[in-house]
Amino acid sequence: MAAKLLVARDLYKSYRRHKIVIPVLQGLDLDVETGEFLCLVGASGSGKTTLLHVLGTLDRPDSGRILLEGKRIDNVPLAERDRLRNQVFGFIFQFYHLLPELNVLENVLMPQMIRSSVLSWWWHRREARRRALALLERVGLSHRLRHRPRELSGGEMQRAAIARALLSRPRLLLADEPTGNLDARTGSEIVRLLRDLNREEGLTIIMVTHNPEIARQADRCVCMTEGRVEPISLGELHALSS
Amino acid sequence: MYKLLLSWRYLLTRYLALASIVSVMLGVATLVVVNSVMGGFAEKLRNRLRGLQAHVMIDARSADGFCNLDYHMQRVREILGDRLEAMSPVIEGFAMVEYRRREYTNFETGSRDDPIHGVITGESPPVVRTVRLLGIDPASRSQTSEFAQFLQNPENRRDPRRCFELRGQAAEHHRRHFLRSFGPSPWNAFPPPNPLAAAEEEATRPPPTDPVELPPHLVRPFGAVVGHGIATFRKPDAKSTDTDRDIPIIYPGDEIVITTVSRTQLEGHAGTRGHPRPVSATFVVTDIFKSEMSEIDSNIIYIDLADMQRLRTMENCATSLQLKIRGYDDYTPEQKRQLLAELARHFDETFFAIASWEQKQGPLLAAIAIERGLLNVLLFLIIAVAGFGILAIFFMIVVEKMRDIGILKALGASNSGVMGIFLTYGLALGLVGAGLGTVLGLAITVNINEIERGLSAMTGNDVFDRSVYYFDKIPTVIDPLNILFLNLGALAIAVGASVLPALRAALLHPVQCLRYE
Repeated sequence: MAAKLLVARDLYKSYRRHKIVIPVLQGLDLDVETGEFLCLVGASGSGKTTLLHVLGTLDRPDSGRILLEGKRIDNVPLAERDRLRNQVFGFIFQFYHLLPELNVLENVLMPQMIRSSVLSWWWHRREARRRALALLERVGLSHRLRHRPRELSGGEMQRAAIARALLSRPRLLLADEPTGNLDARTGSEIVRLLRDLNREEGLTIIMVTHNPEIARQADRCVCMTEGRVEPISLGELHALSS
Repeated sequence: MYKLLLSWRYLLTRYLALASIVSVMLGVATLVVVNSVMGGFAEKLRNRLRGLQAHVMIDARSADGFCNLDYHMQRVREILGDRLEAMSPVIEGFAMVEYRRREYTNFETGSRDDPIHGVITGESPPVVRTVRLLGIDPASRSQTSEFAQFLQNPENRRDPRRCFELRGQAAEHHRRHFLRSFGPSPWNAFPPPNPLAAAEEEATRPPPTDPVELPPHLVRPFGAVVGHGIATFRKPDAKSTDTDRDIPIIYPGDEIVITTVSRTQLEGHAGTRGHPRPVSATFVVTDIFKSEMSEIDSNIIYIDLADMQRLRTMENCATSLQLKIRGYDDYTPEQKRQLLAELARHFDETFFAIASWEQKQGPLLAAIAIERGLLNVLLFLIIAVAGFGILAIFFMIVVEKMRDIGILKALGASNSGVMGIFLTYGLALGLVGAGLGTVLGLAITVNINEIERGLSAMTGNDVFDRSVYYFDKIPTVIDPLNILFLNLGALAIAVGASVLPALRAALLHPVQCLRYE
């Protein structure tokens, strides 16, 4: 049995819209093992994205605990959370979220730039560049280094976003519907890329998706209902989508 | 690092922000120009005032001045010793001057103001005006102040000691005038029978072969150096570019009558106390004085101290002693005070006023300094307006960049880092605006006279009316320290205006930013 990378226990989170309190996470428990490719499915608005944000320290749970390798990360100070996002978690999003002013290479280098001061960036820029180029090669974008995001196709943008997420060698990749905005073929290419990264480099991935075809490629699937996650089998997955 | 990169990219891609760059630029340019021009005015005025005055002045409180001039001068020499570089006694008073404007027509050239070769074709009734009359010793005067360099006759500039003697063209003009007055000229009769015919006759008459012996009182007449503003008048609608905008009234060689008053404490008969009496004498104008300070040029007539003493019966007296102190400009204010105190020990407060030139001209210089400070405050408000422009534009950019802010935070950027992006951006806007503004301001300052000429030619009106101001050119002084402070001020405003939007960006919740569409 592999070690638990991330453990969430009894998470509660609710949003307040005007005077109405909307409960999103209601006593959620989740275990993620190292090297696992976990797929998270669920109806729209069931709280999948919120769960990813809470797990990735972008948001705080109202109560409950999140442990990264046995250490609590839900109540650490702001600076430590910034560091975790920068070095431990990698994010990819449905709408790619590249910075439009920067070219592909600069976008990929962004996590390293955020981490470094001007001086240390100057010292380590070659090394960072080498790594960024290797990652772009890996995702198949080495011919698009100097292009701006708006000059890329959706699939290319998502690959750039994956390369950016991988730059800091994250322990856990949090992917929020990475194929949601792509056609089926491009989407499956992206998923294959993630699958390969998971298999070859042992990258732990939590991916949110609506697509059962894509979900099938994961090691394990969980379904989010009523603020909790439950294991879901392939049969149920098909039933859910149909 | 990403702060620099992003703010640089924002600077290059957000054209909206160029508006605020332009407003910062214009504000800084205006400030640079105004400061340079006002600094130039102050500097030039200061130099002029300085040039026209000695370092220290000992003025008698009485209009009659003080007597025993030699003794007082000797005392000053004893008190100051080596520190005294030069000393010049002066008698100052008010006077009336009476003159006639004559038209000298040269029929060959058609010129109507040629006193050497022309003939008198017209004469105004006598004109009387009040002036300040200064009896000076030209030799020592030109040592204590820059008296000599403002004389118009180059010979007198070289050797100001003889500036009250008739020399050169002035002498020739005076000789001819004398001949005309005493020779068989028709305009000695009144009214002249036919001035044109007479003028033609004189023009055709051969010049006298041997110089006429002048009567003794005319060999060395009373000489007077007249201010340019008295000797000329300005055409009312003259443009600054006109070369003939000053029309001469008095030429060197002309005779003028100066009336002043004799000493007040004149002895009456049998030892009773007398009254001041008007005294007058005819002077020959030997030169024109032009300092470009209209207040001085249009008010002052200089005559020789000896003549003044004779005229006002003030032999061996003076109203003022002008001292030039060696190395005065290097003195500390304390040393200056001490010097005045030493002099005050001999020259009693009751009878003498001792003042340095800064004290005398202080109010004027202070007024300029105050004006300059006030203008700076007002013009900085322009940059403050630009600052509010930056504030508004930045709030819009923050909203526009909401998603990017969310991404940066998801990638681990701290709140202060996000704030830093916008502060750096504000600083960059300020830097570019202030830099361009400084360049523009300096370009305008350096070429301000050409620009002014161009504007005057275009509008047909004088932008910089020389008859109002003291100078022929717009003076400018570029003070690097001042420009540095202007730029720092502009930068502070630009960064200050971006604090609020930057703070807002920093405090945005990353999840809300990422959900923002």
